[in-house]
Amino acid sequence: MLFSYILLSGITTGALYALVALGIVLVNKATGVINFAQGELFMFTGFVAWSLHVQFGIGYGPTLILTIASGFLLGALTDRIAFQPLKNVDVVSLVLATVGIAFMLRGIARIIWGGKGDYLTFPPITSPEPIMVGDLMMIPQQLAVLAGAILIMLVFAAFFRFTRAGKMMQATADNPKAATLVGIRTDRIYTLAFGAGTAVAAAAAVLAAPLTLLYPDMGFSFFIKGFAAAVLGGLTSLPGAILGGLLVGIVEALAAGYVASSLMEVSGFVVIMLVLLVMPSGLLSVGRLRRV
Amino acid sequence: MALFGRRNTLLVLLAFAAILPLWANSYQLYIGTLVVIYTLLAIGLNLLLGFAGQLAFANAAMFGIGAYGTGLLQVQLGWPFAIAFPAGAILATAVGLAISLPALRLSGLYLALSTLAFAQFTQWVFLHWEAVTFGAGGFKTPAISFAPLPVSKPVGLYFLCLVIAVGLYAFARNLVASRTGRAFVAVRDSEVAAQSLSVDLLRTKALAFGLSGFYAGVAGGLYSQTLNYVSPEGYDLFQIVLHKAMIVVGGMGSVAGSVLGAGIIILVLEALRAVKGAQEVVFGGILLVFVLFLRGGLISVIQRYVPGWEEPLHAAPPRAGPAAEPVPLATPTAAERASS
Repeated sequence: MLFSYILLSGITTGALYALVALGIVLVNKATGVINFAQGELFMFTGFVAWSLHVQFGIGYGPTLILTIASGFLLGALTDRIAFQPLKNVDVVSLVLATVGIAFMLRGIARIIWGGKGDYLTFPPITSPEPIMVGDLMMIPQQLAVLAGAILIMLVFAAFFRFTRAGKMMQATADNPKAATLVGIRTDRIYTLAFGAGTAVAAAAAVLAAPLTLLYPDMGFSFFIKGFAAAVLGGLTSLPGAILGGLLVGIVEALAAGYVASSLMEVSGFVVIMLVLLVMPSGLLSVGRLRRV
Repeated sequence: MALFGRRNTLLVLLAFAAILPLWANSYQLYIGTLVVIYTLLAIGLNLLLGFAGQLAFANAAMFGIGAYGTGLLQVQLGWPFAIAFPAGAILATAVGLAISLPALRLSGLYLALSTLAFAQFTQWVFLHWEAVTFGAGGFKTPAISFAPLPVSKPVGLYFLCLVIAVGLYAFARNLVASRTGRAFVAVRDSEVAAQSLSVDLLRTKALAFGLSGFYAGVAGGLYSQTLNYVSPEGYDLFQIVLHKAMIVVGGMGSVAGSVLGAGIIILVLEALRAVKGAQEVVFGGILLVFVLFLRGGLISVIQRYVPGWEEPLHAAPPRAGPAAEPVPLATPTAAERASS
């Protein structure tokens, strides 16, 4: 009973990490870099959704769409400001620029929303009444998060497989020079990838906000956990990101349940170090080597 | 040596710093102490990132370890500051050396992320190992006295910081002009080329990490004594952007630039002391603007217009122009990874 309860809570937190990891993987898949502002973009779009939904009283559906659209714009802006001018310079400048953006977003969020209470609550999409699954009590919102993560994964899997833009993105990721040669405008593909990555973060933020509450410092720990999940899945695999997220969530719930609850916060660090040192290509690509 | 060259300018700054306690009030003296301490941090980080090219985010953690080490040895074990301070610095150096072990296997983004995760882990230890670190509330450290000398504690501490900073500045200047410093630069510019010149990668990287840990540890010990209070939030993620902004503003790969960067950033920080959100926006913005538009930092402007500031060996390498072969993307793309 205790075990299955812990497992369940691990899966639902894991779904949150999986959502963040999806955004990281999406950007990495197309551009080969990690957007260090991903966690802050997640936090920021969450606050945008809060303003739309709670302050302006816009319905849930339109809020979701508007938030995703604003996420896409923010991501595209990040790409145009930090990635495009620096992609041929060096990785140090690129990382420092995205770190700069991350702190700016954090500060702006603190200035705009920080005065409205430390933790902002976001009303759940689904009914707040817990439902019983067998002996286990579940909050419907947790199921919505899990379903959202799987839905987003399927949408992007279909996008990469069936659409022209998705194929162009994969071509750019495989070989930017060859992609340019066959007429793909790689700059636009990069913008699209950053935009899509942040749009995913925005969708994730809307789904997650009712569970996590909103606060300006939330971005970083979600970024670290999301990166842990992404790196477990191999950094370029969408199903890997989901699997990695769930695993990180379960491991952390088990550690919290059986050892000490404060251990939850270090799971990201432990997973990242172990995976990068022992298995740098992730769980799903055992046997393949990668330069890290 | 040109009249406004580096040596003359820095000597004037040092003379100004030396007479500061004559007229400064206690707040100005506190700012002076902070500038000197952050100069140490900036020099240490610059050795690691600007010279050896290792993109690590653990500097704030090392700063914290130095401060906690020094403070806790005094409080928990009753050691005097004169012993606890070097011990704290050695502890930070040891941790710096320890995290250089993954650095040999990881590079670029992966090193950045693993050290970022390490920084978060250090925060967690400060917060949750309550039996030793006193948790989120922090703890007070006993104030040192400079009893035989006729100076008050803040003035004495300021001069202690200044003497240490001048010594470590001179050490860093000589180091980067030595074989070791050239090895750092060689590793930054190309690991393969460095190895072919028989530069030992493991030793060089470990040395860079250890040195930056030492500088940060010394700074941490002095900082704990400046405030006489140690708590986790003094060493949190905000410190990361602060330290990075210092070396980016001053100039990566320039020891003198670190001094300028630390001074400017601390003055801006104090001007914005009241509003945390504004601090984050301003320092994030400074970092972004300098990386985008003035990658060499202020020192590159000074070097262009004022004679006597040249550092020919250690400037960042010239970038490929638009006509040259485009540099490949920051990290290998998916296909290259899969095929290699």
